[in-house]
Amino acid sequence: MDPRRAETGKNSDQIQSGHVYHLALDIGGSLAKLVYFTKNDEHIVGSEKKKSPMKASGISNSSRNSPVLNGRLNFKKFETSKINDCLEFINSMKLHLGGVYKIVMIAMVMNAGCQQPESPGSQTITIKATGGGAYKYADLFKEKFRISLDKEDEMDCLVAGANFLLETIHQEAFTYMGNQKQFVWIDKNDLYPYLLVNIGSGVGMIKVEGDGKFERVSGTSIGGGTFWGLGKLLTKCKSFDELLDLSYRGNNRAVDMLVGDIYGGMDYSKIGLSSTTIASSFGRAISENKERDDYKPEDIARSLLRMISNNIGQISYLTALRFGLKRIFFGGFFIRRHPFTMDTLSVAVNFWSKGEAKAMFLQHEGFLGAVGAFMSSDKHGLKELLANQKVERPPSKLSFSLDQTQVPQQDGELNGDESIECSVYGA
Amino acid sequence: MATKGSNSIHRSSSRPLLDLSKAEIQGNVEEKYPTILLPNQSDDLSHLALDIGGSLIKLVYFSRHEDQSTNDKRMKILKDKLGILNGNRRSYPILGGRLHFVKFETNKINECLEFIYSKKLHCGGWESHHSDSTNDQNAVIKATGGGAFKFADLFKERLGISLDKEDEMDCLVAGANFLLKAIRHEAYTHMEGQKEFIQIDPNDLFPYLLVNIGSGVSMIKVDGNGKFERVSGTNVGGGTYWGLGRLLTNCSSFDELLELSQKGDNRTTDMLVGDIYGTDYPKIGLSASTIASSFGKATLENKELEEYRPEDISLSLLRMISYNIGQISYLNALRFGLKRIFFGGFFIRGHAYTMDAISFAVHFWSKGTAQAMFLRHEGFLGALGAFMSYEKHGLDDLMVHQFVERFPMGAPYTGGKIHGPPLRNLNEKISWMEKFLQKGTEITAPVPMTPPGTTGLGGFEVPLSKGSTLRSDASALNVGVLHLIPTLEVFPLLVDPKMYEPNTVDLSDHSELEYWLTILSEHLPDLVDKAVASEGGTDDSKRRGDAFARAFSAHLARLMEEPAAYGKLGLANLLEMREECLREFQFVDAYRSIKQRENEASLAVLHDLLMELDSLDEETRLLTLIEGVLAANIFDWGSRACVDLYHKGTIIEIYRMSRNKMQRPWRVDDFDAFKERMLGSGDKKPLPHGRALLFVDNSGADIVLGMLPLARELLRRGTEVVLVGNSLPALNDVTAMELPDIVAEAAKHCDILRRAAESGGLLVDAMTNTLDGSKEKLPSVALMVVENGCGSPCIDFRQVSSELAAAAKDADLIILEGMGRSLHTNLYAQFKCDALKLAMVKNQRLAEKLVQGNIYDCVCKYEPAY
Repeated sequence: MDPRRAETGKNSDQIQSGHVYHLALDIGGSLAKLVYFTKNDEHIVGSEKKKSPMKASGISNSSRNSPVLNGRLNFKKFETSKINDCLEFINSMKLHLGGVYKIVMIAMVMNAGCQQPESPGSQTITIKATGGGAYKYADLFKEKFRISLDKEDEMDCLVAGANFLLETIHQEAFTYMGNQKQFVWIDKNDLYPYLLVNIGSGVGMIKVEGDGKFERVSGTSIGGGTFWGLGKLLTKCKSFDELLDLSYRGNNRAVDMLVGDIYGGMDYSKIGLSSTTIASSFGRAISENKERDDYKPEDIARSLLRMISNNIGQISYLTALRFGLKRIFFGGFFIRRHPFTMDTLSVAVNFWSKGEAKAMFLQHEGFLGAVGAFMSSDKHGLKELLANQKVERPPSKLSFSLDQTQVPQQDGELNGDESIECSVYGA
Repeated sequence: MATKGSNSIHRSSSRPLLDLSKAEIQGNVEEKYPTILLPNQSDDLSHLALDIGGSLIKLVYFSRHEDQSTNDKRMKILKDKLGILNGNRRSYPILGGRLHFVKFETNKINECLEFIYSKKLHCGGWESHHSDSTNDQNAVIKATGGGAFKFADLFKERLGISLDKEDEMDCLVAGANFLLKAIRHEAYTHMEGQKEFIQIDPNDLFPYLLVNIGSGVSMIKVDGNGKFERVSGTNVGGGTYWGLGRLLTNCSSFDELLELSQKGDNRTTDMLVGDIYGTDYPKIGLSASTIASSFGKATLENKELEEYRPEDISLSLLRMISYNIGQISYLNALRFGLKRIFFGGFFIRGHAYTMDAISFAVHFWSKGTAQAMFLRHEGFLGALGAFMSYEKHGLDDLMVHQFVERFPMGAPYTGGKIHGPPLRNLNEKISWMEKFLQKGTEITAPVPMTPPGTTGLGGFEVPLSKGSTLRSDASALNVGVLHLIPTLEVFPLLVDPKMYEPNTVDLSDHSELEYWLTILSEHLPDLVDKAVASEGGTDDSKRRGDAFARAFSAHLARLMEEPAAYGKLGLANLLEMREECLREFQFVDAYRSIKQRENEASLAVLHDLLMELDSLDEETRLLTLIEGVLAANIFDWGSRACVDLYHKGTIIEIYRMSRNKMQRPWRVDDFDAFKERMLGSGDKKPLPHGRALLFVDNSGADIVLGMLPLARELLRRGTEVVLVGNSLPALNDVTAMELPDIVAEAAKHCDILRRAAESGGLLVDAMTNTLDGSKEKLPSVALMVVENGCGSPCIDFRQVSSELAAAAKDADLIILEGMGRSLHTNLYAQFKCDALKLAMVKNQRLAEKLVQGNIYDCVCKYEPAY
């Protein structure tokens, strides 16, 4: 069914030199994230002219002569509850794989039918995958599409992804305070150690000291899943994004007990709390004889978001302080570059650190795991693929030169689909 | 230093309760705790402070009872001998003052107002005070909490008192500091349903983190008295639990929500590590049951809110919030280098699961290096702090050994729960006990299960209510009445007072507790009979006897249900509680007549015994004396086995039988070592002891035929002897008040005793002789009597009378006699002087446990000074 793959199979001892197609998956509790590399058609043409081109079907053409792959790093999300959509998508990509000029690679190494190259029906593809779902849905992938998930440790991937993005992508990190987004230039040599806070369904806090050198030092169960779970129960929202949207329009004063509510509108300056500080999240829901329906879902969503962001910001700061980490990067699908979320996290870190620490965010915050899984294919082939390149690069790393970043139109954009224009160099 | 007259300008208005006119310090001003005499003050004067919160009003009030001082000649001589400065020392230590803790629901504020009115807490001594018109000015009561503003007008209108608002956090910290310093075992840990009380060294208390969980959470770093800083907090607190809980369930009260959580299973709402990985994630140390995302499971399912059980939601919320608070608290403690974290505030309410969850979080995040601690009086921190903000209440300087906590009936209700009317007197209390029994199961907390009966009601069962209706505060700890006894001191001869633990039997072992509760329960009918008989068997005494039996059964039932209900419990505490309970129902001395009868019978044969002893050589005599003490110790009405024996023979018969059975070696037999110290070996004659303290046990043969002859031997060897008796009656134990008469009677048969007693001031009538005609005789070493400061069959050497402490200063030998003082307590106590512990084990279980022996085995444990 897929002749190209069949061809690849013939070449199996040489790790698919011509078409190592990368796709990696990060299947979390709520979202499944995909990272894949597509060869840019035009660029292919261009590079073929410039350098030893990498042929789409380049079975026999040695990739050793093609130091650069110009293409696109693509990012895509699916809700985990709709995992079938994700499967369909991957399946459709496979169809594309058969296409003449579209090279799909990245994030997953497809070991296309190594064992039984001649019988496409029984071929098993292996995809790098991480996240809890990589275990949970392994059977599903296998049954439905004969895709075998090669599980990579979640945290390894997360860190590898973050390290890669922070070291490689120019404008990856930024701060966000009071609607002001500011990119932060990170000196590659002064990146470590840092605290990586990954806000998925739950929150993991990881102290990162270098490549492969990290430790999960803390975390909290109050994370994105809590926001979405409680939000779903309290509002009629049908999706996480809808809930986020709502929160944007809400006012938490309706449900939160503020310091001013307790001290009669006055600040409790003795302990440095302003009257608008939240004294107790949802604390007002007790003092009034109102039912759930009497509260605006917007206000509830807002209050939830502030509660959770605030809490994560606080615990993160305390954890960073504990381990003497100067930078805190927040990632994970909860943030989604949602300005209010970022703002609250920033305010919390700012508040608890008395201005000494700043929350930083990553452009590709939702895809750290997937990128990491993608990077992990390095170990299994990509490195070999590019092993003989003369370009002097750290041997164990892929290098990307970022030609152009397609930043989403606006920060509040909730759609995770995007791509980065890039070139892949040999190691 | 004498306090100035009343109505002085500044803060006197905030302390309307004491009439300080003509106040003066009584006694020597150099005394450690001079008593301030307030002649114009009524006997029952009080201080009151309030903490008016959103849901509860907490009251703390202090009542002080002036006692009659017994400044007789005997005491004066004793004081001279012991070098006690002459002051207004109290003959009975269980006086002084009492600190009461009471709660009311804020929405039933009228009950609170009535209570204050009925107890006259708003006017203190004013009614007995007829002087000037300044009376009409408003009394000012210290108050804290949000309601102090809200209800100010109501208090003014109804009681004519103004509320003086104190800062909440100031009060909180002051209250916590006081409790942690002054109350033994105030703090406890709570892990997996198990409470463990922690003794905090008052000198090593600071700094600590105080986490107050109200609507929100404040985290306060406390460095000392009045030295604190709010260093952190979180907006996810009790208000969040209740607010979100209300939105998510149909609960109408916080308590209802909390109760729901008991039956919940958070797996239906929380996303667990197992849900994500299908298994543990051992790499980062997360088990499959760890919550990965609170409420995360709700994201995976298309279920409506109504399809989730409110129980599960409540539990999930509770865990989420408790874990979070525990985590942030630990991080802050770490940040500021604080080794202890105390949690308080209304969110906890003694709720076992909440405490477990917080403890778990602290344990988890600290990898076991930190522990969450809770306070028994946690609901009263603010009120107590407000109370402390009065000037000159004198409580600041009191130390832990000067407090004794009692649990009178009614205290479990007013202090622990809000139940019952204010009990003004004993009669009301008895009526209430009677009603209480009828309502039985309706009333929470102790539930006596035995049917109403006549005198001698006994029996003890676990309340049936448990299980079917789990109360949200099922593990609530009782808050007793704090007795402040400034004259109590730590026994100076303890080797290490900090490490000292009086109790030998640890009742935290459940089977142990059950055993002793059953013993006490079985013994109850007999005790009630004795008590009623001691008061002539009148109708009134029968009624009180019934009430006592109910009350004590209720205590036992409460303990069976919640062993930690009254704090850390040792056998000594249990035995003391029984005595206290008797006194509460005004049975002053249940064994009065028995003690008298036995004393008389024993004194009648003392002469013969002394003759017999004097015919022996020194070495045989010493052995015979020790045998005698052990044999006479069989007369113990606290022992069931012995009570049975009494029915079979006369005192003397039993004593002789008992003595004949004294076969050495005893189960624990250090007699040879003791003899060596006393008599030496070969030609070396050791110096006699300078002063011996003899802690006596029972009346009758025990004191007369056992300990007095031993005392006489010591006196003969030139050792001063101090007989240490109980301050208050306990069982048939001989009290310090009774000892002089017994000694006087014995002295009639013995010259040695007579002269020593004269010298020690015990024979007041003979004093003149001694003083006038002493030249003809050599002055004898003294035989004295001091009280030990307690009213229990056991003794806690951390809290003894100042007299005993003074007497101990020159002592180089102490002899502890009887099960209560040398086995139940102090078997392992170490002293700075020579110590001899003598007892007959009159309980099979104890014999097996402590000495691997049998009932009626003897213990003669001698330990040279450590």
